[in-house]
Amino acid sequence: MKALGEEGLLERVAALLADPRHAEHPLREALEALYLQHRDQQEQLERLMSISDRYQSLAREAQQVTQKRYERALKRQKKLSRISDRYQALMRERNQTLHQEAHHDALTELPNRRLIDERLAQLDRGGRRYTLALLDIDHFKQINDEYGHDVGDELLVAITRTMRQGLRDYDLCGRWGGEEFLLLLGDTGLEEASSIVERLRTRLAQVRVASGDQWLSVTLSAGLSEHRVGEPYLTTLQRADQALLEAKREGRDRSQLASC
Amino acid sequence: MPAMTMIPDLDISGSQSTPIIRSDWAAGRLTMQGDSYPENSYDLFDQVIAWVQGFLTQESRPLRLELGLVYLNTSSVKAMMDIFDLLEEAHEQGRQVSVTWHYDPRNERIAELAEEFKEDCSYPFVITPAKVVP
Repeated sequence: MKALGEEGLLERVAALLADPRHAEHPLREALEALYLQHRDQQEQLERLMSISDRYQSLAREAQQVTQKRYERALKRQKKLSRISDRYQALMRERNQTLHQEAHHDALTELPNRRLIDERLAQLDRGGRRYTLALLDIDHFKQINDEYGHDVGDELLVAITRTMRQGLRDYDLCGRWGGEEFLLLLGDTGLEEASSIVERLRTRLAQVRVASGDQWLSVTLSAGLSEHRVGEPYLTTLQRADQALLEAKREGRDRSQLASC
Repeated sequence: MPAMTMIPDLDISGSQSTPIIRSDWAAGRLTMQGDSYPENSYDLFDQVIAWVQGFLTQESRPLRLELGLVYLNTSSVKAMMDIFDLLEEAHEQGRQVSVTWHYDPRNERIAELAEEFKEDCSYPFVITPAKVVP
């Protein structure tokens, strides 16, 4: 409304200035100067506003471009982290698998010599009491030769299963060699260990594996030795091994205790 | 007319921590396989990115990527995303580009990761189990 009023007033002034009757009027020259100056200022104001509008729209566009770029970079960053995290998880799992494989026997999944060695060294450092028992399947070679390695393997797995069931949670049973197992009985003296091993040998002798229409079973010999304070575990192990040899020599299917 | 500067083909023999990278300008093919966790991945991948860029700007023939990548560290992941972005741009401009990612079927997790890469790609991106040599 204001603009219309202003435009109306300007039109009136323009008409008055154009009227020849006012040509000699003393105020005409001053009015005309005022009129022209006003027109100039109006034009400048409009130009200023249009420039300002253009700047504003440019700034807005630039902001939108920046926003889009930012969103894209953020999305990329998220994708990168996501993929990278998944690769890391993959590597971690692979490491765990490798660690498991490096410390366990593939057939029986029992701890292997490396893991047992680590555990024994730990026990030595901790100064804890323990007894070692080496168990060996009697005449295992004959089983392999007569019935084949598949049957032999099956027997090893079956023996392992029973051995695991017969032990306490804190005992460790590992595959020491081909048909040889090592039991690590923690916080256990020779006598207690002996009764544990005897019970175990009885149960193991009842394990049956089928070959054709036959059922096979085996006996085990054992050598036990209690760790002496301060000695390295290898010494304890040597005594257990010696005791096992004696058990074999005495006719197998028996336990032999190494003298303390 | 002076001949355009042809970018020499890549023939990088892999190591334990770097993939085998081979390019064939004439066939329009780039092959990368193996693990990638190089010490300086920019040195390694800058040449690959330059080759892809060169091919896409100087040629109008199709470009094919044959991948058999297994483990990638973060900077290698970023480099691969950059390469896939180049392909996407070219594809949007009507270029024929494609990726085939071969994975060991014994390791399905690699296929899942390839799927993650594929997510924003609108060009043919095939993830296929490789034949296992017994």
